[in-house]
Amino acid sequence: MRLRTILLASGIVFMILSGIFLVSCGKKPMDGMIIITEADNRAVSPDFVSGKLWRYIPESHLYAIDPENTQKAPESLTGNFFSACSPDISFDGKCMLFAAQKSKDEPWQIWEMDLSSRKVAQITTGNENSIDPAYLPGGQLVFSRTIANDSLKSGHSLFTCNTDGSNLKRITFNPHSYFASSVLKDGRVITIGRQIFPEEKTAAMMVLRPDGTKAELFRQNIDGMEFFSRGRETADGKIIFIESGKNTGNGRRLASISYNRPLHSLTNLTAGITGDFSSVFPIDTGKYLVTYRLSESENYSLFNFDAESKKLGDQLFKSSDKSIIEAVIVREHQKPRKLPSEVDKGVKTGLLFCQNIAVTGLSSPENVDSLVADRIELIGVDSLLGVVKVERDGSFYLKVNADMPFKIRTLDADGNTLNGPGSWIWLRPNERRGCTGCHEDQEMVPANRVALATKNLPVAVPVHISGIKEKQVELE
Amino acid sequence: MKKILLVTGIIFALGIIIFIPGKRMAREHVNLKTAVTDHPLLCTNCHLHMHKRSPFARFDQADYLSPLNLAVSNDGKLVYIAAQDGNALLVADVEKGKVIRKIPVGNKPHSVIVDKAGKNAYVSNQWSDNVFVINLDNYQITDTLLTGNGPAGLSLSSDEKSLYVVNSYSSDLTVIDLESGIEIKRLTTGNNPTGATLSPDGSDLYVTSRRADIAQYGEPLVSQLTVVNDKSKRIKTYLGMESAYLMENVAFTPAGDLAVVTLIRPKNMVPSIQVERGFMMTHGIGIIEQKENGRIIQLLTDEPNAYYPDPFDIVISPDGKRAFISNSGVNTITVVDIDSVKALIAESTPEMLKLWPDHLGISSRYVIKRISTGANPKGLALSPDGQTLYVAEHLEDRIAVISADNMETVKTIDLDGPGRITVTRKGRRLLNNAGRTFQTQYSCYTCHPDEHEDGLVYNMASKDMGRNITNTQSLRDISDTPPFKWNGKNQTVFKQDGMRFSTVLTRTEPFPYPDLDAISSYIMTGIKYPPNLGFNPAGKLTEAQRRGKTVFERTKDNLGNVIPENNRCITCHPSPYYTNLKQVDVKTLAASDDSILFDTPHLNNIYASPPYLHDGRASTLEEIWTIYGKEDKHGLVGDMTKNQLNDLIEYLKSLRSPDYDGKSTQIHEAALNH
Repeated sequence: MRLRTILLASGIVFMILSGIFLVSCGKKPMDGMIIITEADNRAVSPDFVSGKLWRYIPESHLYAIDPENTQKAPESLTGNFFSACSPDISFDGKCMLFAAQKSKDEPWQIWEMDLSSRKVAQITTGNENSIDPAYLPGGQLVFSRTIANDSLKSGHSLFTCNTDGSNLKRITFNPHSYFASSVLKDGRVITIGRQIFPEEKTAAMMVLRPDGTKAELFRQNIDGMEFFSRGRETADGKIIFIESGKNTGNGRRLASISYNRPLHSLTNLTAGITGDFSSVFPIDTGKYLVTYRLSESENYSLFNFDAESKKLGDQLFKSSDKSIIEAVIVREHQKPRKLPSEVDKGVKTGLLFCQNIAVTGLSSPENVDSLVADRIELIGVDSLLGVVKVERDGSFYLKVNADMPFKIRTLDADGNTLNGPGSWIWLRPNERRGCTGCHEDQEMVPANRVALATKNLPVAVPVHISGIKEKQVELE
Repeated sequence: MKKILLVTGIIFALGIIIFIPGKRMAREHVNLKTAVTDHPLLCTNCHLHMHKRSPFARFDQADYLSPLNLAVSNDGKLVYIAAQDGNALLVADVEKGKVIRKIPVGNKPHSVIVDKAGKNAYVSNQWSDNVFVINLDNYQITDTLLTGNGPAGLSLSSDEKSLYVVNSYSSDLTVIDLESGIEIKRLTTGNNPTGATLSPDGSDLYVTSRRADIAQYGEPLVSQLTVVNDKSKRIKTYLGMESAYLMENVAFTPAGDLAVVTLIRPKNMVPSIQVERGFMMTHGIGIIEQKENGRIIQLLTDEPNAYYPDPFDIVISPDGKRAFISNSGVNTITVVDIDSVKALIAESTPEMLKLWPDHLGISSRYVIKRISTGANPKGLALSPDGQTLYVAEHLEDRIAVISADNMETVKTIDLDGPGRITVTRKGRRLLNNAGRTFQTQYSCYTCHPDEHEDGLVYNMASKDMGRNITNTQSLRDISDTPPFKWNGKNQTVFKQDGMRFSTVLTRTEPFPYPDLDAISSYIMTGIKYPPNLGFNPAGKLTEAQRRGKTVFERTKDNLGNVIPENNRCITCHPSPYYTNLKQVDVKTLAASDDSILFDTPHLNNIYASPPYLHDGRASTLEEIWTIYGKEDKHGLVGDMTKNQLNDLIEYLKSLRSPDYDGKSTQIHEAALNH
């Protein structure tokens, strides 16, 4: 009798444990599902500077749909929120980041949802808006956040933190706004950046390491075009995105650039298609999920898209009264490289090296003529930082306060401006950055020669930082 | 029963008592060796794979073939393959897709060529200093032709009466009269030559060189192409390829209007502060116009965010339309459209032609395809009709068969090597692959070709960007010479290739620990010195070397005064590796160096590692003392006569690996007995 009881109890325990095991290790509950952002189709122009009606979508909501059974009612995922958008799926396909506001008057925050239990956890806090989250390898994320009264005059800066909200770090330090980031397979963050001070400029696609170092131009917008969606990297080495502008002719179009040569590989994938696109997400090589509408009077719906034939495929899902403005697929996907960081907060400066200031555009490095700068002037947000003499081979080598934006203007021997000022630059603590030239062709590499500037110690800018006792960091 | 329980309990308790501190000690030991705190505590990771004399090491060995170069029979039915580690010439039947003959040859065969009649194959045995002549009717070795040191590339003269042999270690070219089998000339080439190709009209032989001319850091980098007149068998000219090195091979267009070499354009003089924007290495081709006052033009085959390192071989299709280049570091064949190259050159101003060698985007004009291959593609050969490209997948033990028209792999020929991949083999693949460098800009091999060193001095940008320039060190047989790095700051290879390595060099995610274990295993156990056949072929010193040994080991100067122990050669450089494994100050710090001690370098095969001293300031061994050691702080030499110094240098050049056991002779004899 006792044995029978023991056996029975053991059997029950085994069955319960087996059930738990099967639930936890079997097919992920949402694997293969598509998560969409639904919102009103507002016939107003988005504000690319503030992000309103572009990255901030009021009363938006996330839903899960089953691509195998699109007749089934979508599952609401964010019913408890006033607005929720910008979903990003973790590399193991088990969790989702999104930006949301609990109520109309609360700031936007970053949240993470366990896609098995649908439980959500708030990652960011505070009174500032946090939007556009994207997973980084190593249990971190990158997102955009506003800073009230920022001395750097930035709009939305990029931040990283752990998925539990700890280890919050700002990684951009210039008067720009950054939106719609995602992470490239090489581990860098790709983001849409726009100068907002002292005047607004056209947005550009920028890349930087997750520690904020080595920020550089990835894709310059041309002809007044605006990047409308996140750039997403495909398995075959493309970055796909939606861009819009007065010259598109057919509204917001789907375009791609090659990772290998982003500055000179723009392909319009929707040249023959009338209508607008609002988002794109890669499925397989050459196959994308897009949200599309035929005209402004219609709502955006979810479609397949074939990049090779450049044709819109089947309509996957259409909401009865709302627009589907973005979509992502829940699935395990390749984890990007986790890049090592050279940032050391014990160091207060960064080093900037330019090999030859005479290398500009497509000029020859040998073409050193009378227009070559004699000196450079560094300009801060609020003040001039200093003037530095350029070596006779065109090189200069600076030590600059870390996390401080500055621009460079080239001057002749009489102090007249030759070029610039250029774009805002910043250096992270202990960052060491190199440039081949000054506003040079971005595809140029440095010549293999010893630059005169590196034979001396770096010039400290502003001058008073030369007295800083730096922590010595052993490198190689 | 009680006793049993008691004993068991005591054993258990003792186990617990020993286990806890034992585990802590093991953790501390592993942390010390790896310089990280989270490396898995698995004894076998290190003790099974890191010691070359360990009895367990043989479990991690397999007889790989490692095809390096190849040639196709005149009827296109057979492929002859020089199997570098298999010490064999393999004959593969293309149609059957398998190896039909394995002919033992000398030590480390490098290249194979076939004469026009298809009767004979010539195989250069790089570690045996000879060339085997093999009758292709019966696969018998019919002659052994003696060469200079390290025979590599081969070419027949236009009349096929002479054989040119590129001596890669002695940096010269042997000309052999095939009728007598005797070397009739020895011509000086560029530094560390490898490839040799005769122009289509048979007038000139081009010989590539891998190492640049020895020059002081900061001087322009120039590597030499040697041009030999085939008729006179004399040097016609040397063509300097500026800012480039590692020119492995050369090919001509069938019309003979262009010669094209593979090359690397290093950035060793640019501070190594980033990988982005080509700050470390770029790779491409050099084009030599074959006309009066023909120009030398360099073009990159890289792209702005993607690099194609370690270009090795190049072949050009019979119609002259396409060049195929093997990029060993990324398992890729790059296909270049020759007409597009010509068009670009024709439309470019002289200013633009100066610009293109440093322009990553211009490759989109002429690179038309990247074809994936197996591990570490090296030698290439086209079928006589130009329809099929054969690729020696060096670390895959396989030949890829590619349709030259479609530029797709049609099939592969398995060479029947060991099926399994040992830990050290995995490590070798990793060392030869750029996959663990940001944007695949370079592999370990790039700066350590043949696991040696590239002869360059690098600005490693320590602290400030112009300080502490360093001479690349060889990876050969370093396992018994810790610590590592020029200042001895890395106690193990684990540390050398670990987190810091990824932060300051590769600048991407570090090696996962299984990969780090594998690459460390290969470096610690798998890299051998070539036999020092040039200066010490049989382990017996010459008269001058013996005199030099006496000088090396002396304890008194020429006046009979006792030399302080710390200023004797033998004190810091004792055999068998000629290092005492300690850090010392030999007063060779430069003004741009931090105040630091130097790790005493090992000296075996030191003849093959110019330039010398930590920053490469000494072009020759002599200069260490005649120019940079006048204060007698790096050994007492001030009293020596010129003859004594010469003898000392001769002795130093004779030093060779203690592990060298006459294997070369054994392999050679085995081949002849075949």
